Amino acid sequence: MTTATTVVDVHGLEKTYGKANERQYRALKDINFSVAEGEFVGIMGASGSGKTTLLNMLSTLDTPTKGDVIVNGHDVTKMRGNQLADFRAQEVGFIFQDFNLLESLTAEENIGLPLALKGTASKVMDQAIHEVAETLSIADLLQKYPAELSGGQKQRVAAARAIVHHPSILMGDEPTGALDSTSARELLDLLTTINQKQAMSVLLVTHDPFSASFCQRILFIKDGQIGSELKRGSQDRAAFYQQILTELGTFNE
Amino acid sequence: MLGKLALAGIKNRRRDYLVLLAGLTMSAAIFYMFANLATNRAFIKANAVVSQASLIFGFGAVLLILITVVYIMYANSFLLSMRQHDYGLFMMLGATRKRVGELVFLETLILGTIATAIGIVLGLLMSKFLVGFLLNMLGLHLAHLTAAYVPAIIATAVLYVGLFILASLFNLVRLTRTTVLNLLHSDEQANQPKVKPFRQLIQGTLGIVFLAIGYWALAAIKVLQVMAIPVALVTITLGTYLLFRATILVIIRGLRHTAWAKKHLNGFLLGQLNFRVHNYTRMLTIVSLLFAMALGAITVGSGYHKQLPMMAKTIGTYTIAVHDKTPVEQKLMDQLHVAYTATYTQKRQGKMVYYNADEIAKQPVEQQRYKKSGQPEAQLYTQSLKDFKKSGTQDMDFMALALGKIGAYTPKILSAEQFAKQTGKTVTVTTIRVKDLQQDKKPLKQLNKLENKRFAAPDGMTVGSYQGFEMMNGFFGGLEFMGYFLGIAFLAMLASCLMFKILSGAPGDQRRYRMLYKVGVRQNLMRWGIAKEIGILFLIPGIMGVIDVLFGLQMFKPLMSAPMSPYLGIGSTFLIFIGLYVIYYLITLALYWRIVLPKTTTD
Repeated sequence: MTTATTVVDVHGLEKTYGKANERQYRALKDINFSVAEGEFVGIMGASGSGKTTLLNMLSTLDTPTKGDVIVNGHDVTKMRGNQLADFRAQEVGFIFQDFNLLESLTAEENIGLPLALKGTASKVMDQAIHEVAETLSIADLLQKYPAELSGGQKQRVAAARAIVHHPSILMGDEPTGALDSTSARELLDLLTTINQKQAMSVLLVTHDPFSASFCQRILFIKDGQIGSELKRGSQDRAAFYQQILTELGTFNE
Repeated sequence: MLGKLALAGIKNRRRDYLVLLAGLTMSAAIFYMFANLATNRAFIKANAVVSQASLIFGFGAVLLILITVVYIMYANSFLLSMRQHDYGLFMMLGATRKRVGELVFLETLILGTIATAIGIVLGLLMSKFLVGFLLNMLGLHLAHLTAAYVPAIIATAVLYVGLFILASLFNLVRLTRTTVLNLLHSDEQANQPKVKPFRQLIQGTLGIVFLAIGYWALAAIKVLQVMAIPVALVTITLGTYLLFRATILVIIRGLRHTAWAKKHLNGFLLGQLNFRVHNYTRMLTIVSLLFAMALGAITVGSGYHKQLPMMAKTIGTYTIAVHDKTPVEQKLMDQLHVAYTATYTQKRQGKMVYYNADEIAKQPVEQQRYKKSGQPEAQLYTQSLKDFKKSGTQDMDFMALALGKIGAYTPKILSAEQFAKQTGKTVTVTTIRVKDLQQDKKPLKQLNKLENKRFAAPDGMTVGSYQGFEMMNGFFGGLEFMGYFLGIAFLAMLASCLMFKILSGAPGDQRRYRMLYKVGVRQNLMRWGIAKEIGILFLIPGIMGVIDVLFGLQMFKPLMSAPMSPYLGIGSTFLIFIGLYVIYYLITLALYWRIVLPKTTTD
């Protein structure tokens, strides 16, 4: 199943909350999908549909009740303790809705954190930080603290932190959720650039059709199950956006 | 309904509340113990032989009140930091400010009253058992010491409840002035302190100058008299504050640009410290002073404890002299750790006492020589029989071996044959010099009592340095006890202050460590990071405090004149003190870990 071209492979994934003798709630039921290397995949669903739970399973922040999650050849469900932490630090890049920047550190130090955790030499680190800052055009913000940055700038710094260590996959949990429309568009363009230029796989969780329209493929999730799938193919973004809206209209009925 | 909600909120965090309550209770108990000593006039009158003692008590009381105020301030901010979010939530749910205000006021006051009540009871018990234990350990006896003393109970209750009313009012104002949104998102906004080189240079220089003045004032206590203490207090406080302000930030800034800062969590650690230390400057200053006072008090206390025997040693060449020992006395003497002993036969007739030259040749009499300065020499010496006959018989300690109603008999040394023929009342006397007076305190005390009963000299005096030791113990014992007591009380309070200040920052840190967790930082790395961060916050006032003490001990030089010195044997005292401080650090760390570290899976 796992070939060199598959980055994420999810098999029969289930998540049940609550203990066996209590009232149980099944957040995810039999989820199967895979993400190919360099793919830009979106996961859409209303709130409560289980999309964040799914992302938490993929990023090892939560453990599944059943099923396998294989990311870049590592079986995530078999990992324990430090392995999990190291996996998150090395294989996954994260962008959160609320930025998750450490306000006691400058932008530069925030971006360098994943490299510092790996124990990268400081010269290599400086170079990597400046490279990624150039790409995301935040080179002039490096010495500032998060409190001095706008929302859009913060999210770009967070994006820089997510990709500075070249993870095998970039995961975004509603990364545009706290941004104004201009900043949101900028960030999504940026993610597209990262996806195309660095051939980095991107997995975006969102409920916003506009954000989703930047993806190549969208999985619709409802009540813990994947309901349908939409591929962008060769159509342009605007057309895809319309298609998503239509799909949502029927999907949510 | 709101009351129920508030109770539920407290239940959820009962462990944190327990810590808070325990800390406040301890503080009230310690204050009661002190107030019990300080306000008990009969006790002070009976024990304050030294004029400084009442001054020390007064000073101690003022200091303890100040510390208590600071302590309650920090404990209160810890309480508020725990509850802010809940209060915000209540307001968002539609509770009026007035209603929430009442809740805050009541909650603080109830907590405070409970803590005070338990604290006084605990203080009573501690006064009864702990103080007794401490006195017993030190071998001291203080008259008129009772566990329950009504004025002390009133003083403690009034001070604590008064302070808690103030704290409740403060919380009320704080809460009604902040908006609901700020309460809900009460996470600390990082305000990054700016480094201004010129201003910092001036601050640093001023700080050092103030410290120098303070240290000089302590050393020059003979010139400045009592003024030395307030002068030193003000200048050292200012100096420490300015020095902290000027240096800590610069050092952290400097470190942030090194390669070291780019390894693992070091950068995060420095970032945390950077935006913390600024807020902490004042607290670190206070804590470093408290640390110095606590350590100083204990050092002085143990100084007296260790040095009284030394001082006593210079009073006589032997520890005790036993005349015509009984079997009971022999048993007691067998328990002593003897450094030198000699037994002489005396024949007393008229105003004369005769000694056998053979015995003195075999067991020469130890004598004390004095330096030109009047200081006794460290080593005792003995003379040959010939020399001893010439000058040694004039030795005071030797003469004191034969005391009668008329005073000392005049000693004369006879050859063995002459001595055998000499008539008179025969008495044997055994002199003993022990290795360590403290070690043999118990048998010595009994021996002294027995000697006193049988051969009381004019004023119920016996001979030997033990008698002097007992007298001095009564004289300086109060000081010694105060030293230990204040030291332990200060340490308990200062460490709790630091603990609560640090813990009140913990809820804000929760979020940060959660982020680190998500980014993939190992649990161990986070633990270490926290240990380092809190360790540094404990270390800074610790180092400054030790320096303060090393200089501050100068103050006691006039009181502890040679061969005593306030610096003698401070190593072991420092070690014990630092040990206790480390225990506080570990408790704080464990609590911090519990609050801050994320659970391994998401909720």
